[in-house]
Amino acid sequence: MSELERTLLRRLRDRDERAFRELLELHRDRVYNITFRMLGNRAEAEDVAQEVFISVFKTVDQFREESKFSTWLYRVAVNHCKNRIKYLARRHDRDRDELDENSHQANGAAVGVPVRAAQPDRALEGAQMERLLQEAIGNLDDDHRIVVVLRDIEDLSIEEICEITGLPDGTVKSRLHRARLALRKKLQRHV
Amino acid sequence: MTATPDNSATEGEPIADEILAAVSDYLDGALAAERRTEVEQKLASDPDWKRAHAELAETRDALSGLQKARAPGSFNEDVTSTIHQRSAGRFFGRRTLGDRVPFGVLLVVALVILIPIAYLMWSSSTGSLRHEAEPSGDGSGRGSQHLIPKP
Repeated sequence: MSELERTLLRRLRDRDERAFRELLELHRDRVYNITFRMLGNRAEAEDVAQEVFISVFKTVDQFREESKFSTWLYRVAVNHCKNRIKYLARRHDRDRDELDENSHQANGAAVGVPVRAAQPDRALEGAQMERLLQEAIGNLDDDHRIVVVLRDIEDLSIEEICEITGLPDGTVKSRLHRARLALRKKLQRHV
Repeated sequence: MTATPDNSATEGEPIADEILAAVSDYLDGALAAERRTEVEQKLASDPDWKRAHAELAETRDALSGLQKARAPGSFNEDVTSTIHQRSAGRFFGRRTLGDRVPFGVLLVVALVILIPIAYLMWSSSTGSLRHEAEPSGDGSGRGSQHLIPKP
């Protein structure tokens, strides 16, 4: 850990608001990018990213300086994302149950989401490709999503991902293979 | 694990997962020198390995080429104001004594101060830390001289 980071941490532990703002400036975009790629929704990503920084500020005394500060920060971000994914999945299930119940009550009236027509000729272009990839990432289960976001989007090393996730090297690599395989298949269908 | 069929009709035979795993490690630079040389030889000669490399590299490039999402401009203000709201303005600023000194130490210091005071109060005949007033020679209290006017 650099001397600059140590000084910043010391000031954070003294609850220095300026130090907190410096921390935000340094890491906010990266944390936001992680939460956005994990959750696929800007409003949720912003909310979770805020909670990440609040948690970090509240629990900075618990950081033991055994790893890089950014590693600890990303670990907090990943944990918050996992919790939010679970919460959203539960809410989605509940909403779907309510929807099913309502549709039954309406004597079987069809309730459905219109399927968007595929546009393979434009799928590779700019925003379309972005959306396609984000959708493909969102279809991965959260364990696979985490490693692919950290490795292929955030360009963190396998070692750092092991520290963040607390997983052994082999597990991270195999999850990465599977995630890339799933993404490759998804992309091939549209290319 | 067995290879799963590929849905794309144009892609031909599915590539075995072990090839994809090796190529994935190769792209990550996670192979030992000997294994890396083996993979490089395969990549140079075997079409399945070449295809796996091309597809995985393309997937990885697409992911790394995703736009970096940036936090909204009001993000810093939003976070700090949330902290202020939740802590009613107490969260920032210098720490209080209770935050800096462990509670046990504060307790011991408090006991060291309070026990002698309690002992003095208990042993005092007045029940307080004040000294008992000296009785005057004529039997009347000092205060009574001021209270009862002389005739």
